[in-house]
Amino acid sequence: MVITFPHMGRVYISVKALFDDLNVKLVVPPPVSKNTLELGTRLAPEMACLPLKINIGNYIESIKRGADTIILTGSCGPCRFGYYGVVQKEILKDLGYDVNIVILDAPNTGFKAFIDKIRMISGYSSLSSLMRAFRAAFKVTVEVDELMDIVLRKRPREKHKGETDRLLSRFEHDVLKVHGSTETLELVAIYKDKISVIAEDEKADPVRIGLVGEIYTLIEPYVNLNVEKKLGSLGVEVHRGITLTDWIKTHLSMDMKYKRARRNALDKAKPYLGRCIGGHAWETIAATVGFNEKGMDGVIQILPFGCMPEIVAESIIPTISRDLSLPAMTVTVDELTGEAGYMTRLEAFVDLLSQKKGMVS
Amino acid sequence: MKIGIPRALLWSIYLPLWKAFFNELGHEVVLSPPTNKKILNDGVTACVDDACLPVKIMHGHVIDLMDRADLIFIPRLISICPREYICPKFIGLPEMIRNSVAGGPKLLVLDFNAHKSIRHGYDGFIAIGRQLGARESAVRRALARAMKAQDEYTARLLGGSNPLMLLEGMALHAGIGGNKGTIGLIGHPYLLYDRFVSMDACRKLAQMGYRLIFPENILPEQIERTCSIYPKKLFWSYGKHLLGSGLAMLEKGMADGIIVLSSFGCGIDSFMVELLQRQNQRDFRIPLTVITLDEHSGNAGFDTRLEAFVDMLEWRDHNGHYFSPHGEGLYIC
Repeated sequence: MVITFPHMGRVYISVKALFDDLNVKLVVPPPVSKNTLELGTRLAPEMACLPLKINIGNYIESIKRGADTIILTGSCGPCRFGYYGVVQKEILKDLGYDVNIVILDAPNTGFKAFIDKIRMISGYSSLSSLMRAFRAAFKVTVEVDELMDIVLRKRPREKHKGETDRLLSRFEHDVLKVHGSTETLELVAIYKDKISVIAEDEKADPVRIGLVGEIYTLIEPYVNLNVEKKLGSLGVEVHRGITLTDWIKTHLSMDMKYKRARRNALDKAKPYLGRCIGGHAWETIAATVGFNEKGMDGVIQILPFGCMPEIVAESIIPTISRDLSLPAMTVTVDELTGEAGYMTRLEAFVDLLSQKKGMVS
Repeated sequence: MKIGIPRALLWSIYLPLWKAFFNELGHEVVLSPPTNKKILNDGVTACVDDACLPVKIMHGHVIDLMDRADLIFIPRLISICPREYICPKFIGLPEMIRNSVAGGPKLLVLDFNAHKSIRHGYDGFIAIGRQLGARESAVRRALARAMKAQDEYTARLLGGSNPLMLLEGMALHAGIGGNKGTIGLIGHPYLLYDRFVSMDACRKLAQMGYRLIFPENILPEQIERTCSIYPKKLFWSYGKHLLGSGLAMLEKGMADGIIVLSSFGCGIDSFMVELLQRQNQRDFRIPLTVITLDEHSGNAGFDTRLEAFVDMLEWRDHNGHYFSPHGEGLYIC
């Protein structure tokens, strides 16, 4: 059994650490590229949302490298993500790939099935080593997210342009070479130190923008055309509305304190949207209001074309923007998004914000 | 009080229930007119670009009703069947309308949530009945009568009728133009039974001499059974309805051909149609076409596609099923 999984930003670092610890063979799909997207676009339904297409590309690239089992998380609607596994399985079946897709649905839809699947993909490791590996992988996720927070803070302030990104890309190169969570954590710590000491320009007073939207699009840099880096290089301090750590804490952990805090954060959305409508639309609205309270200069919503829940959020955001006089912009991405047009929109938005900031202060 | 019901989204399925409920409570019901150019344009202008056609049209109907009704009835159909949903946009519909339609329409929002159980769903009706100032006992009585009207309607749909005949009095019986066969027409109710959106496909096909069967004619048990081939429960009621009825038509050989109408950007159709096409391709190989509709669809192009499909059905019979589909030779495998 050789396992693979779809890419989603830096999730591969944690997944790799997890399966290394469990001594299970794993193929990390090659980074999402034009080839991945083209494979996916050709084989997936035309109207499917972008993440599904990229997933298909990831699978095929991994299968070519020897993977035979795909793991994927699931959900039970109403967002389309819950049915990804089934549709993808049908597509791969018709293409003649003999692979096993393991969909990890939330434990409450069938606890025994969930445990069985976990035991199967972990190569029947003992429960204690499983728990240990999961805990370590979670630690890796938290640490990598912290590293990214440092990066986001440094980018607009660095004295020598590009220094942060140079270190970050070296980290991404090195992290594939280490084995297991211990080594990964050590490496993250090293880079955290390295990036923290990058010289800052004292005069820098960056515009602050909050990113909200659909989780996959926000987390996967290829899909959002590396919006964090683009904004960073425009001198913007980027704040993320949702991170992988949040997702894991919400869905997989028993951290009651976090759950209460999340509940409070979601309550902020109440005047506009008082319930979960699938996907992350509720979080998008709550985070938009939350970012205003944190004093952000603006908010950018990113969604993949046709994303059902985010469309609802998209129609609510202009009202929030008016009520709170918080500049907000919505960007829709799909396989046809052009870099130049996208960049122009980001630049224009940042220009407006910095002029506004200049006038206010 | 005058309560406006927009002729959009699932009105064609639930109108008897909604109308009887409000009438029983002593309110007048005002329907918006059938979709027309103006309603479409108003909706498209008000709504966000990314939304699908039916949601845009819903906005148009709300705008139309704004000065004719005291309250506009917006059903927030979260779930119509336990452990299933409809579509995220249906759940966020009142919010979308409030934030997109200028002038602050007064909405009467029904929260229908049968995710836990059907009984829970009807609590929503009790709540809006109370909101309208009726006593709970009166609301329950009205609801019971309304549900009876709805049951009769559903039974007639399952018996082979369709909303166009029952609600708009359209004559759609087989044999307007001869009797050449049966076409299964699959799509969401808000496409099939909206004559403006579907470009009157039903009448056109009937005139070409075909009998039509609709997803509403297929028994729920059959749908459940055909959908059980998938390893995971389909959690969209209408997705399941369309896919299951399509599979039932294929399996039972009910139709000579299947036309799927889908709206551009419909997230659920993108998956359901894909699964239906793949299943058809593997096991049944019955002619199946998908026509995507949006606010830019033109009548002429649409007719051409219908005609081409029907021609293909007829030639196929004529040529003894030896037909070379695109890209595939007859003697080359």
